[in-house]
Amino acid sequence: MNRIFIALALTFASVSAFAIDITVQRVNDRRTSGSFSQLGITLELPKIKSGDVAASRVLVTAAKDETGRDLIDPQAGEPQLETNHQLGNETAARPVTVSVTLKNPDRKALKVSEVRGEIELFMPSKDPNSVAEIAKFQSFSGKVLAHKALKANGVEITLISPAQIAAEKKKLGDAKRKEYEGYGYEGEALEQAVAGHLEYVLRTEPGEVALRIKDPNKRIEEVVFLNAAGELKRGSLREDEGYHFLSTWEGPPQADWKLRVSMRTPKNLVRHAFALKDVPLP
Amino acid sequence: MRAVAFLVLSTLTLAAYAQSGVGVDIDEVVDNRVTYGDLVGNLELRVKLKGTGLDKASAARIVVKEARDDRGNALTPSKLGNDFTPRDYNSGMLQMFVSTPARAASSVTLKGTIELFVPTRDPNAVVKIDKALAKLDAPLSHAKLKSAKLSITPLSPTGYAERMKSRKLDDAKIAELRAEGKKQGVPDKEIEMAIEMAKAFDSMDSAPPDGSVILAGTKSDFDRIFRVEVLGADGKPIDTNSRSTSSRGEDTLMTLQPSNTPPANAALLLYLLTAKSQMSFPFELKVNLP
Repeated sequence: MNRIFIALALTFASVSAFAIDITVQRVNDRRTSGSFSQLGITLELPKIKSGDVAASRVLVTAAKDETGRDLIDPQAGEPQLETNHQLGNETAARPVTVSVTLKNPDRKALKVSEVRGEIELFMPSKDPNSVAEIAKFQSFSGKVLAHKALKANGVEITLISPAQIAAEKKKLGDAKRKEYEGYGYEGEALEQAVAGHLEYVLRTEPGEVALRIKDPNKRIEEVVFLNAAGELKRGSLREDEGYHFLSTWEGPPQADWKLRVSMRTPKNLVRHAFALKDVPLP
Repeated sequence: MRAVAFLVLSTLTLAAYAQSGVGVDIDEVVDNRVTYGDLVGNLELRVKLKGTGLDKASAARIVVKEARDDRGNALTPSKLGNDFTPRDYNSGMLQMFVSTPARAASSVTLKGTIELFVPTRDPNAVVKIDKALAKLDAPLSHAKLKSAKLSITPLSPTGYAERMKSRKLDDAKIAELRAEGKKQGVPDKEIEMAIEMAKAFDSMDSAPPDGSVILAGTKSDFDRIFRVEVLGADGKPIDTNSRSTSSRGEDTLMTLQPSNTPPANAALLLYLLTAKSQMSFPFELKVNLP
Protein backbone atom coordinates (compact mmCIF):
# COMPACT_ATOMS: atom_id res chain seq x y z
CA MET A 1 0.00 0.00 0.00
CA ASN A 2 1.39 3.34 -1.01
CA ARG A 3 1.72 5.99 1.60
CA ILE A 4 1.35 9.39 0.05
CA PHE A 5 1.96 12.64 1.80
CA ILE A 6 -0.85 15.08 1.66
CA ALA A 7 -0.50 18.78 2.13
CA LEU A 8 -3.14 19.79 4.57
CA ALA A 9 -4.23 23.34 5.00
CA LEU A 10 -6.88 24.99 7.02
CA THR A 11 -9.96 26.43 5.52
CA PHE A 12 -11.91 27.34 8.60
CA ALA A 13 -10.59 29.49 11.39
CA SER A 14 -12.20 27.11 13.88
CA VAL A 15 -9.97 24.22 12.85
CA SER A 16 -6.83 23.42 14.79
CA ALA A 17 -3.64 23.98 12.89
CA PHE A 18 -2.06 20.54 12.87
CA ALA A 19 -0.94 18.84 9.69
CA ILE A 20 -1.99 15.27 8.97
CA ASP A 21 -0.66 12.45 6.86
CA ILE A 22 -3.15 10.74 4.62
CA THR A 23 -2.75 7.23 3.33
CA VAL A 24 -4.37 6.05 0.13
CA GLN A 25 -6.01 2.91 1.44
CA ARG A 26 -7.92 1.71 -1.60
CA VAL A 27 -8.24 2.61 -5.27
CA ASN A 28 -11.14 1.16 -7.23
CA ASP A 29 -11.36 1.98 -10.92
CA ARG A 30 -14.71 0.41 -11.77
CA ARG A 31 -14.98 0.48 -15.53
CA THR A 32 -18.17 -0.79 -17.07
CA SER A 33 -20.14 -0.70 -20.28
CA GLY A 34 -23.23 -0.34 -18.05
CA SER A 35 -24.03 1.72 -14.98
CA PHE A 36 -21.98 2.90 -12.00
CA SER A 37 -18.69 3.53 -13.77
CA GLN A 38 -16.46 5.48 -11.42
CA LEU A 39 -13.10 5.86 -9.75
CA GLY A 40 -13.26 5.55 -5.99
CA ILE A 41 -10.33 6.45 -3.76
CA THR A 42 -10.49 5.68 -0.07
CA LEU A 43 -8.23 7.78 2.13
CA GLU A 44 -7.20 6.95 5.66
CA LEU A 45 -6.48 9.75 8.14
CA PRO A 46 -4.17 7.98 10.62
CA LYS A 47 -4.35 10.67 13.28
CA ILE A 48 -8.13 10.87 13.48
CA LYS A 49 -9.99 8.02 15.16
CA SER A 50 -12.98 6.60 13.39
CA GLY A 51 -14.91 6.84 16.66
CA ASP A 52 -14.63 10.63 16.60
CA VAL A 53 -16.16 11.03 13.14
CA ALA A 54 -19.89 10.50 12.70
CA ALA A 55 -19.95 11.36 8.99
CA SER A 56 -17.71 12.72 6.26
CA ARG A 57 -17.59 13.93 2.70
CA VAL A 58 -14.92 14.98 0.25
CA LEU A 59 -15.43 18.07 -1.89
CA VAL A 60 -13.12 17.90 -4.89
CA THR A 61 -12.07 21.09 -6.64
CA ALA A 62 -9.59 19.62 -9.14
CA ALA A 63 -8.74 16.13 -10.37
CA LYS A 64 -7.00 14.87 -13.48
CA ASP A 65 -5.18 11.80 -14.70
CA GLU A 66 -1.76 11.80 -16.33
CA THR A 67 -3.28 12.16 -19.81
CA GLY A 68 -4.86 15.41 -18.66
CA ARG A 69 -8.41 14.01 -18.49
CA ASP A 70 -10.58 15.93 -16.05
CA LEU A 71 -11.96 13.46 -13.51
CA ILE A 72 -14.63 15.70 -12.01
CA ASP A 73 -18.12 14.75 -13.10
CA PRO A 74 -19.90 18.01 -13.94
CA GLN A 75 -23.25 16.22 -13.68
CA ALA A 76 -22.66 15.04 -10.12
CA GLY A 77 -24.22 17.17 -7.39
CA GLU A 78 -22.44 18.22 -4.23
CA PRO A 79 -21.73 15.08 -2.18
CA GLN A 80 -23.74 14.60 1.01
CA LEU A 81 -22.20 13.65 4.33
CA GLU A 82 -21.81 9.87 4.47
CA THR A 83 -22.62 8.27 7.81
CA ASN A 84 -19.70 6.44 9.40
CA HIS A 85 -21.16 2.99 9.93
CA GLN A 86 -18.07 1.89 11.88
CA LEU A 87 -19.10 4.22 14.67
CA GLY A 88 -20.14 2.37 17.81
CA ASN A 89 -18.40 -0.92 17.05
CA GLU A 90 -15.01 -2.37 17.86
CA THR A 91 -13.28 -0.64 14.93
CA ALA A 92 -14.01 2.84 16.32
CA ALA A 93 -10.40 3.13 17.57
CA ARG A 94 -9.05 2.65 14.05
CA PRO A 95 -8.21 5.63 11.86
CA VAL A 96 -11.13 7.15 10.00
CA THR A 97 -11.46 6.67 6.26
CA VAL A 98 -13.13 8.98 3.75
CA SER A 99 -14.11 8.34 0.14
CA VAL A 100 -13.55 10.36 -3.00
CA THR A 101 -15.66 9.60 -6.06
CA LEU A 102 -14.43 10.65 -9.51
CA LYS A 103 -14.95 9.82 -13.16
CA ASN A 104 -12.96 6.95 -14.67
CA PRO A 105 -9.47 7.91 -15.81
CA ASP A 106 -8.31 7.10 -19.33
CA ARG A 107 -7.48 3.42 -19.76
CA LYS A 108 -4.03 4.45 -20.92
CA ALA A 109 -3.36 6.47 -17.77
CA LEU A 110 -1.19 4.75 -15.17
CA LYS A 111 -1.75 7.27 -12.42
CA VAL A 112 -3.96 10.07 -11.22
CA SER A 113 -1.74 13.16 -11.40
CA GLU A 114 -3.61 15.19 -8.83
CA VAL A 115 -6.70 15.46 -6.72
CA ARG A 116 -7.36 18.58 -4.69
CA GLY A 117 -10.20 19.65 -2.49
CA GLU A 118 -11.49 19.57 1.06
CA ILE A 119 -12.31 16.79 3.48
CA GLU A 120 -15.23 17.63 5.72
CA LEU A 121 -15.58 15.69 8.96
CA PHE A 122 -18.60 15.75 11.22
CA MET A 123 -17.08 15.35 14.69
CA PRO A 124 -19.77 15.55 17.39
CA SER A 125 -17.20 15.44 20.21
CA LYS A 126 -16.05 18.95 19.23
CA ASP A 127 -19.28 20.52 20.51
CA PRO A 128 -21.30 19.58 23.64
CA ASN A 129 -24.42 20.62 21.75
CA SER A 130 -23.86 18.15 18.91
CA VAL A 131 -26.11 15.41 20.19
CA ALA A 132 -29.44 15.30 22.00
CA GLU A 133 -30.39 11.97 23.55
CA ILE A 134 -33.92 11.82 24.88
CA ALA A 135 -34.52 8.92 27.26
CA LYS A 136 -37.91 7.19 27.22
CA PHE A 137 -38.93 9.57 24.44
CA GLN A 138 -42.23 7.79 23.88
CA SER A 139 -43.52 9.25 27.13
CA PHE A 140 -43.45 12.66 25.35
CA SER A 141 -46.30 11.68 23.03
CA GLY A 142 -48.04 14.85 21.86
CA LYS A 143 -45.35 17.08 23.37
CA VAL A 144 -42.22 18.93 22.34
CA LEU A 145 -39.02 17.05 23.20
CA ALA A 146 -37.00 19.06 25.70
CA HIS A 147 -33.20 19.07 25.45
CA LYS A 148 -30.63 21.85 25.74
CA ALA A 149 -28.77 20.75 22.58
CA LEU A 150 -31.98 20.97 20.53
CA LYS A 151 -32.61 24.42 21.94
CA ALA A 152 -29.04 25.57 21.29
CA ASN A 153 -29.39 24.61 17.64
CA GLY A 154 -32.85 26.14 17.22
CA VAL A 155 -34.35 22.69 16.62
CA GLU A 156 -37.86 21.84 17.79
CA ILE A 157 -39.10 18.25 17.63
CA THR A 158 -42.62 17.26 18.63
CA LEU A 159 -43.59 13.64 19.13
CA ILE A 160 -46.93 13.40 17.38
CA SER A 161 -49.64 11.24 18.96
CA PRO A 162 -52.03 9.07 16.90
CA ALA A 163 -54.85 11.49 17.88
CA GLN A 164 -52.86 14.44 16.49
CA ILE A 165 -52.23 12.55 13.25
CA ALA A 166 -55.96 11.78 12.99
CA ALA A 167 -56.81 15.47 13.62
CA GLU A 168 -54.29 16.59 11.00
CA LYS A 169 -55.67 14.08 8.54
CA LYS A 170 -59.18 15.45 9.13
CA LYS A 171 -57.91 18.97 8.53
CA LEU A 172 -56.28 17.90 5.27
CA GLY A 173 -59.49 16.09 4.28
CA ASP A 174 -61.56 19.20 4.92
CA ALA A 175 -59.21 21.31 2.81
CA LYS A 176 -59.31 18.74 0.02
CA ARG A 177 -63.11 18.59 0.22
CA LYS A 178 -63.27 22.35 -0.33
CA GLU A 179 -60.88 22.06 -3.25
CA TYR A 180 -62.91 19.28 -4.89
CA GLU A 181 -66.17 21.17 -4.30
CA GLY A 182 -64.61 23.98 -6.30
CA TYR A 183 -64.16 21.50 -9.14
CA GLY A 184 -67.89 20.67 -9.00
CA TYR A 185 -67.73 17.40 -7.03
CA GLU A 186 -70.64 16.65 -4.71
CA GLY A 187 -72.36 13.90 -2.76
CA GLU A 188 -70.92 10.39 -2.89
CA ALA A 189 -68.45 11.25 -5.65
CA LEU A 190 -67.00 14.03 -3.47
CA GLU A 191 -66.63 11.76 -0.44
CA GLN A 192 -65.04 9.04 -2.56
CA ALA A 193 -62.54 11.52 -4.00
CA VAL A 194 -61.62 12.81 -0.52
CA ALA A 195 -61.35 9.28 0.88
CA GLY A 196 -59.17 8.28 -2.07
CA HIS A 197 -56.85 11.20 -1.39
CA LEU A 198 -56.64 10.50 2.35
CA GLU A 199 -55.88 6.84 1.81
CA TYR A 200 -52.27 7.66 1.00
CA VAL A 201 -51.82 10.74 3.19
CA LEU A 202 -50.21 10.53 6.65
CA ARG A 203 -50.54 6.78 6.58
CA THR A 204 -48.65 5.43 9.56
CA GLU A 205 -47.06 2.02 9.28
CA PRO A 206 -46.88 -0.21 12.37
CA GLY A 207 -43.80 0.64 14.45
CA GLU A 208 -43.35 4.13 12.98
CA VAL A 209 -42.83 7.11 15.25
CA ALA A 210 -44.37 10.35 13.97
CA LEU A 211 -42.43 13.59 14.50
CA ARG A 212 -42.88 17.23 13.56
CA ILE A 213 -39.44 18.69 13.05
CA LYS A 214 -38.63 22.39 12.88
CA ASP A 215 -35.02 22.92 11.86
CA PRO A 216 -34.68 26.42 10.40
CA ASN A 217 -30.86 26.33 10.46
CA LYS A 218 -30.65 22.88 8.75
CA ARG A 219 -28.67 21.49 11.67
CA ILE A 220 -30.02 17.94 11.87
CA GLU A 221 -27.68 15.31 10.48
CA GLU A 222 -29.37 12.16 11.74
CA VAL A 223 -32.24 10.96 13.92
CA VAL A 224 -31.92 7.40 15.23
CA PHE A 225 -33.04 5.14 18.05
CA LEU A 226 -30.76 3.76 20.78
CA ASN A 227 -31.83 0.62 22.57
CA ALA A 228 -31.46 0.05 26.32
CA ALA A 229 -27.92 -1.30 25.77
CA GLY A 230 -26.98 1.90 23.91
CA GLU A 231 -26.84 0.19 20.52
CA LEU A 232 -27.72 2.29 17.48
CA LYS A 233 -30.91 1.25 15.72
CA ARG A 234 -30.81 2.95 12.35
CA GLY A 235 -33.72 2.74 9.99
CA SER A 236 -35.52 5.18 7.77
CA LEU A 237 -36.92 8.67 8.18
CA ARG A 238 -39.59 9.54 5.63
CA GLU A 239 -41.46 12.80 5.21
CA ASP A 240 -45.16 13.21 4.44
CA GLU A 241 -47.18 16.44 4.54
CA GLY A 242 -44.59 18.15 6.74
CA TYR A 243 -44.39 15.28 9.24
CA HIS A 244 -41.51 12.83 9.62
CA PHE A 245 -41.96 9.13 10.28
CA LEU A 246 -39.06 7.27 11.88
CA SER A 247 -38.83 3.49 11.90
CA THR A 248 -36.26 0.75 12.21
CA TRP A 249 -36.08 -2.64 10.53
CA GLU A 250 -36.14 -4.26 13.96
CA GLY A 251 -39.76 -3.50 14.78
CA PRO A 252 -41.39 -0.92 17.03
CA PRO A 253 -39.11 0.95 19.46
CA GLN A 254 -39.31 -0.35 23.02
CA ALA A 255 -40.39 1.79 25.99
CA ASP A 256 -36.79 2.05 27.28
CA TRP A 257 -35.30 3.17 23.95
CA LYS A 258 -33.82 6.63 23.47
CA LEU A 259 -34.16 9.01 20.55
CA ARG A 260 -30.83 10.44 19.41
CA VAL A 261 -30.60 13.57 17.29
CA SER A 262 -27.19 14.46 15.84
CA MET A 263 -26.69 18.04 14.71
CA ARG A 264 -24.09 19.85 12.60
CA THR A 265 -22.76 23.00 14.23
CA PRO A 266 -20.01 25.46 13.31
CA LYS A 267 -17.82 23.82 15.96
CA ASN A 268 -18.25 20.18 14.96
CA LEU A 269 -17.89 20.45 11.17
CA VAL A 270 -14.17 20.36 10.46
CA ARG A 271 -12.75 20.98 7.01
CA HIS A 272 -9.22 20.22 5.81
CA ALA A 273 -7.86 21.10 2.40
CA PHE A 274 -5.93 18.26 0.80
CA ALA A 275 -3.96 17.47 -2.32
CA LEU A 276 -3.03 14.06 -3.68
CA LYS A 277 -0.22 13.59 -6.19
CA ASP A 278 0.56 10.70 -8.53
CA VAL A 279 -1.77 8.01 -7.24
CA PRO A 280 -0.99 4.76 -9.08
CA LEU A 281 -3.99 3.24 -10.86
CA PRO A 282 -4.83 -0.46 -10.63
CA MET B 1 -25.66 0.36 -22.13
CA ARG B 2 -26.05 -2.83 -24.03
CA ALA B 3 -22.84 -3.74 -25.75
CA VAL B 4 -22.70 -6.34 -28.47
CA ALA B 5 -19.83 -8.74 -28.41
CA PHE B 6 -17.76 -9.65 -31.39
CA LEU B 7 -18.98 -13.16 -31.34
CA VAL B 8 -18.33 -16.53 -32.79
CA LEU B 9 -14.88 -16.36 -34.22
CA SER B 10 -13.82 -19.93 -34.53
CA THR B 11 -15.03 -22.49 -36.99
CA LEU B 12 -15.80 -24.74 -34.06
CA THR B 13 -18.09 -22.18 -32.50
CA LEU B 14 -19.73 -21.42 -35.78
CA ALA B 15 -20.47 -25.12 -36.16
CA ALA B 16 -21.83 -25.39 -32.63
CA TYR B 17 -23.96 -22.30 -33.05
CA ALA B 18 -25.33 -23.52 -36.36
CA GLN B 19 -26.26 -26.91 -34.91
CA SER B 20 -27.71 -25.74 -31.64
CA GLY B 21 -28.73 -22.20 -32.31
CA VAL B 22 -27.23 -21.31 -28.92
CA GLY B 23 -24.95 -18.34 -28.54
CA VAL B 24 -24.31 -15.43 -26.18
CA ASP B 25 -24.90 -11.69 -26.28
CA ILE B 26 -22.85 -9.50 -23.99
CA ASP B 27 -25.08 -7.43 -21.72
CA GLU B 28 -22.41 -5.74 -19.65
CA VAL B 29 -18.64 -5.77 -19.21
CA VAL B 30 -17.33 -4.76 -15.78
CA ASP B 31 -13.59 -4.35 -15.37
CA ASN B 32 -13.45 -3.86 -11.63
CA ARG B 33 -9.86 -2.83 -10.93
CA VAL B 34 -8.88 -2.64 -7.29
CA THR B 35 -5.78 -1.94 -5.26
CA TYR B 36 -6.51 -2.81 -1.63
CA GLY B 37 -4.20 -5.16 0.22
CA ASP B 38 -4.43 -8.52 -1.50
CA LEU B 39 -7.54 -7.55 -3.46
CA VAL B 40 -7.03 -6.92 -7.15
CA GLY B 41 -10.57 -7.07 -8.55
CA ASN B 42 -11.70 -9.04 -11.58
CA LEU B 43 -13.27 -8.83 -15.02
CA GLU B 44 -16.94 -9.73 -15.04
CA LEU B 45 -19.00 -10.43 -18.13
CA ARG B 46 -22.77 -10.52 -17.92
CA VAL B 47 -24.27 -12.37 -20.84
CA LYS B 48 -27.60 -13.53 -22.13
CA LEU B 49 -28.08 -16.70 -24.11
CA LYS B 50 -29.68 -16.50 -27.52
CA GLY B 51 -30.90 -19.05 -29.98
CA THR B 52 -33.49 -21.75 -30.32
CA GLY B 53 -34.32 -24.57 -27.93
CA LEU B 54 -33.44 -22.56 -24.84
CA ASP B 55 -37.01 -22.83 -23.56
CA LYS B 56 -36.38 -26.52 -22.84
CA ALA B 57 -33.43 -25.73 -20.57
CA SER B 58 -34.16 -25.43 -16.83
CA ALA B 59 -30.75 -23.95 -16.10
CA ALA B 60 -27.56 -22.83 -17.76
CA ARG B 61 -24.01 -21.87 -16.96
CA ILE B 62 -20.93 -20.67 -18.75
CA VAL B 63 -17.60 -22.29 -18.08
CA VAL B 64 -14.58 -20.27 -19.16
CA LYS B 65 -11.66 -22.51 -20.07
CA GLU B 66 -9.23 -19.97 -21.46
CA ALA B 67 -9.03 -16.19 -21.46
CA ARG B 68 -6.36 -13.81 -22.74
CA ASP B 69 -6.09 -10.05 -23.15
CA ASP B 70 -4.78 -8.46 -26.35
CA ARG B 71 -1.43 -7.87 -24.63
CA GLY B 72 -0.96 -11.62 -24.49
CA ASN B 73 -1.62 -12.05 -20.77
CA ALA B 74 -3.42 -15.22 -19.75
CA LEU B 75 -6.37 -14.44 -17.45
CA THR B 76 -7.37 -16.97 -14.81
CA PRO B 77 -11.01 -18.09 -14.92
CA SER B 78 -12.78 -17.90 -11.56
CA LYS B 79 -15.13 -20.52 -10.17
CA LEU B 80 -17.57 -17.72 -9.35
CA GLY B 81 -20.64 -18.11 -11.52
CA ASN B 82 -19.81 -21.72 -12.32
CA ASP B 83 -23.01 -23.12 -10.79
CA PHE B 84 -26.03 -23.78 -12.95
CA THR B 85 -28.40 -20.81 -12.80
CA PRO B 86 -32.16 -21.30 -13.27
CA ARG B 87 -33.27 -19.82 -16.59
CA ASP B 88 -36.00 -17.81 -14.87
CA TYR B 89 -33.52 -16.17 -12.51
CA ASN B 90 -32.38 -12.60 -13.21
CA SER B 91 -34.00 -12.59 -16.68
CA GLY B 92 -31.75 -15.44 -17.77
CA MET B 93 -28.56 -13.43 -17.20
CA LEU B 94 -25.36 -15.45 -16.69
CA GLN B 95 -22.06 -14.26 -15.33
CA MET B 96 -18.47 -15.25 -15.92
CA PHE B 97 -15.40 -13.97 -14.13
CA VAL B 98 -11.72 -13.93 -15.01
CA SER B 99 -8.74 -12.20 -13.44
CA THR B 100 -8.04 -8.55 -14.23
CA PRO B 101 -6.61 -7.80 -17.69
CA ALA B 102 -3.67 -5.43 -18.17
CA ARG B 103 -4.58 -1.76 -17.86
CA ALA B 104 -3.08 -1.18 -21.30
CA ALA B 105 -5.23 -3.94 -22.86
CA SER B 106 -8.16 -2.95 -25.02
CA SER B 107 -9.87 -6.30 -25.56
CA VAL B 108 -10.15 -9.80 -24.13
CA THR B 109 -10.79 -13.12 -25.86
CA LEU B 110 -12.48 -15.93 -23.97
CA LYS B 111 -13.04 -19.58 -24.85
CA GLY B 112 -15.24 -22.02 -23.03
CA THR B 113 -18.56 -23.78 -23.08
CA ILE B 114 -22.19 -22.84 -22.71
CA GLU B 115 -23.81 -25.62 -20.71
CA LEU B 116 -27.52 -26.27 -20.51
CA PHE B 117 -29.42 -28.46 -18.08
CA VAL B 118 -32.34 -30.03 -19.96
CA PRO B 119 -33.97 -32.55 -17.60
CA THR B 120 -36.47 -33.68 -20.26
CA ARG B 121 -33.56 -35.29 -22.13
CA ASP B 122 -33.10 -37.89 -19.41
CA PRO B 123 -35.88 -39.63 -17.44
CA ASN B 124 -33.32 -40.36 -14.72
CA ALA B 125 -32.71 -36.63 -14.17
CA VAL B 126 -35.99 -36.13 -12.29
CA VAL B 127 -36.60 -38.19 -9.18
CA LYS B 128 -39.83 -38.00 -7.21
CA ILE B 129 -39.65 -39.58 -3.78
CA ASP B 130 -43.06 -40.05 -2.18
CA LYS B 131 -43.41 -39.65 1.60
CA ALA B 132 -39.77 -38.61 1.66
CA LEU B 133 -40.05 -36.99 5.09
CA ALA B 134 -41.90 -39.89 6.73
CA LYS B 135 -38.72 -41.69 7.70
CA LEU B 136 -36.10 -39.24 8.95
CA ASP B 137 -32.43 -39.93 9.67
CA ALA B 138 -32.36 -42.73 7.10
CA PRO B 139 -31.13 -42.37 3.50
CA LEU B 140 -33.83 -41.76 0.89
CA SER B 141 -34.63 -44.87 -1.04
CA HIS B 142 -35.26 -44.79 -4.78
CA ALA B 143 -34.00 -46.85 -7.71
CA LYS B 144 -32.90 -43.72 -9.63
CA LEU B 145 -30.88 -42.46 -6.64
CA LYS B 146 -29.29 -45.90 -6.31
CA SER B 147 -28.48 -45.97 -10.00
CA ALA B 148 -26.95 -42.47 -9.75
CA LYS B 149 -25.02 -43.60 -6.63
CA LEU B 150 -26.45 -40.70 -4.63
CA SER B 151 -27.08 -40.92 -0.90
CA ILE B 152 -29.20 -38.18 0.66
CA THR B 153 -30.62 -38.31 4.18
CA PRO B 154 -33.45 -36.11 5.50
CA LEU B 155 -32.69 -35.17 9.09
CA SER B 156 -34.88 -34.88 12.19
CA PRO B 157 -34.18 -31.99 14.60
CA THR B 158 -32.26 -34.48 16.77
CA GLY B 159 -30.32 -35.78 13.79
CA TYR B 160 -29.53 -32.21 12.78
CA ALA B 161 -28.31 -31.31 16.28
CA GLU B 162 -26.04 -34.38 16.35
CA ARG B 163 -24.69 -33.54 12.90
CA MET B 164 -23.96 -29.95 13.94
CA LYS B 165 -22.21 -31.15 17.10
CA SER B 166 -19.96 -33.44 15.09
CA ARG B 167 -19.15 -30.56 12.70
CA LYS B 168 -18.19 -28.13 15.47
CA LEU B 169 -14.68 -26.76 14.99
CA ASP B 170 -12.23 -28.02 17.58
CA ASP B 171 -8.44 -27.88 17.82
CA ALA B 172 -8.04 -31.14 15.88
CA LYS B 173 -10.27 -29.90 13.02
CA ILE B 174 -8.46 -26.57 12.90
CA ALA B 175 -5.13 -28.41 12.71
CA GLU B 176 -6.58 -30.53 9.91
CA LEU B 177 -7.71 -27.42 8.02
CA ARG B 178 -4.27 -25.84 8.45
CA ALA B 179 -2.50 -28.97 7.23
CA GLU B 180 -4.79 -29.22 4.19
CA GLY B 181 -4.13 -25.56 3.34
CA LYS B 182 -0.37 -26.08 3.59
CA LYS B 183 -0.63 -29.21 1.45
CA GLN B 184 -2.40 -27.16 -1.23
CA GLY B 185 0.27 -24.46 -1.05
CA VAL B 186 -2.06 -21.78 0.32
CA PRO B 187 -0.11 -18.89 1.93
CA ASP B 188 -0.16 -18.93 5.75
CA LYS B 189 -1.97 -15.58 5.92
CA GLU B 190 -4.81 -16.89 3.74
CA ILE B 191 -5.03 -20.11 5.74
CA GLU B 192 -5.43 -18.15 8.98
CA MET B 193 -8.05 -15.90 7.37
CA ALA B 194 -9.99 -18.97 6.20
CA ILE B 195 -9.82 -20.46 9.70
CA GLU B 196 -11.09 -17.22 11.25
CA MET B 197 -13.94 -17.19 8.74
CA ALA B 198 -14.78 -20.82 9.54
CA LYS B 199 -14.84 -19.93 13.24
CA ALA B 200 -17.16 -17.01 12.54
CA PHE B 201 -19.54 -19.22 10.57
CA ASP B 202 -19.33 -21.81 13.32
CA SER B 203 -20.54 -19.28 15.88
CA MET B 204 -23.43 -18.29 13.61
CA ASP B 205 -24.83 -21.83 13.36
CA SER B 206 -28.27 -21.96 14.90
CA ALA B 207 -31.17 -24.35 14.70
CA PRO B 208 -33.23 -23.81 11.53
CA PRO B 209 -36.84 -22.66 11.97
CA ASP B 210 -39.67 -25.18 12.43
CA GLY B 211 -40.88 -26.61 9.15
CA SER B 212 -37.42 -26.57 7.56
CA VAL B 213 -36.36 -29.53 5.47
CA ILE B 214 -32.75 -30.54 6.11
CA LEU B 215 -30.93 -32.94 3.88
CA ALA B 216 -27.50 -34.39 4.59
CA GLY B 217 -25.02 -35.90 2.19
CA THR B 218 -21.60 -35.45 0.70
CA LYS B 219 -20.51 -32.35 -1.19
CA SER B 220 -19.83 -34.35 -4.33
CA ASP B 221 -23.38 -35.77 -4.19
CA PHE B 222 -24.97 -32.34 -3.72
CA ASP B 223 -22.83 -30.99 -6.56
CA ARG B 224 -24.75 -33.38 -8.81
CA ILE B 225 -28.15 -32.08 -7.69
CA PHE B 226 -29.45 -28.98 -9.45
CA ARG B 227 -32.48 -28.43 -7.26
CA VAL B 228 -34.71 -30.01 -4.62
CA GLU B 229 -38.40 -29.15 -4.42
CA VAL B 230 -40.73 -30.02 -1.54
CA LEU B 231 -44.13 -31.05 -2.88
CA GLY B 232 -47.30 -30.23 -0.95
CA ALA B 233 -50.42 -32.36 -0.55
CA ASP B 234 -51.58 -31.16 -3.98
CA GLY B 235 -48.39 -32.50 -5.57
CA LYS B 236 -47.16 -29.00 -6.42
CA PRO B 237 -43.88 -27.47 -5.19
CA ILE B 238 -44.30 -25.44 -2.00
CA ASP B 239 -42.79 -21.95 -2.34
CA THR B 240 -39.40 -21.98 -0.70
CA ASN B 241 -38.34 -18.83 1.13
CA SER B 242 -34.71 -19.74 1.38
CA ARG B 243 -32.31 -22.44 0.26
CA SER B 244 -28.81 -22.82 1.60
CA THR B 245 -26.05 -25.39 1.53
CA SER B 246 -23.16 -25.53 3.94
CA SER B 247 -20.17 -27.82 3.66
CA ARG B 248 -17.46 -28.78 6.10
CA GLY B 249 -15.07 -30.79 3.99
CA GLU B 250 -17.24 -33.38 2.23
CA ASP B 251 -19.94 -33.26 4.90
CA THR B 252 -22.79 -31.15 3.50
CA LEU B 253 -26.16 -29.98 4.75
CA MET B 254 -28.86 -28.48 2.56
CA THR B 255 -31.54 -26.44 4.35
CA LEU B 256 -34.82 -25.58 2.67
CA GLN B 257 -37.32 -23.28 4.34
CA PRO B 258 -40.71 -23.75 2.67
CA SER B 259 -43.27 -20.97 3.15
CA ASN B 260 -45.67 -23.54 4.69
CA THR B 261 -44.77 -26.46 6.91
CA PRO B 262 -44.68 -29.50 4.60
CA PRO B 263 -47.32 -32.16 5.27
CA ALA B 264 -46.14 -35.41 6.88
CA ASN B 265 -46.58 -37.21 3.55
CA ALA B 266 -44.68 -34.56 1.55
CA ALA B 267 -42.77 -35.79 -1.47
CA LEU B 268 -39.40 -34.49 -2.62
CA LEU B 269 -38.57 -33.80 -6.24
CA LEU B 270 -34.87 -33.95 -7.06
CA TYR B 271 -33.38 -32.66 -10.30
CA LEU B 272 -30.13 -34.50 -10.98
CA LEU B 273 -27.37 -33.16 -13.21
CA THR B 274 -26.91 -36.39 -15.17
CA ALA B 275 -24.63 -36.60 -18.19
CA LYS B 276 -27.57 -37.09 -20.57
CA SER B 277 -29.46 -34.08 -19.22
CA GLN B 278 -26.63 -31.68 -19.96
CA MET B 279 -25.75 -30.12 -23.30
CA SER B 280 -22.49 -28.35 -23.96
CA PHE B 281 -21.61 -25.89 -26.73
CA PRO B 282 -18.20 -24.36 -27.23
CA PHE B 283 -17.93 -20.61 -27.63
CA GLU B 284 -15.27 -18.04 -28.37
CA LEU B 285 -15.88 -14.44 -27.56
CA LYS B 286 -13.98 -11.21 -28.02
CA VAL B 287 -15.01 -8.19 -25.99
CA ASN B 288 -13.81 -4.62 -25.99
CA LEU B 289 -12.80 -3.40 -22.55
CA PRO B 290 -14.53 -0.30 -21.15
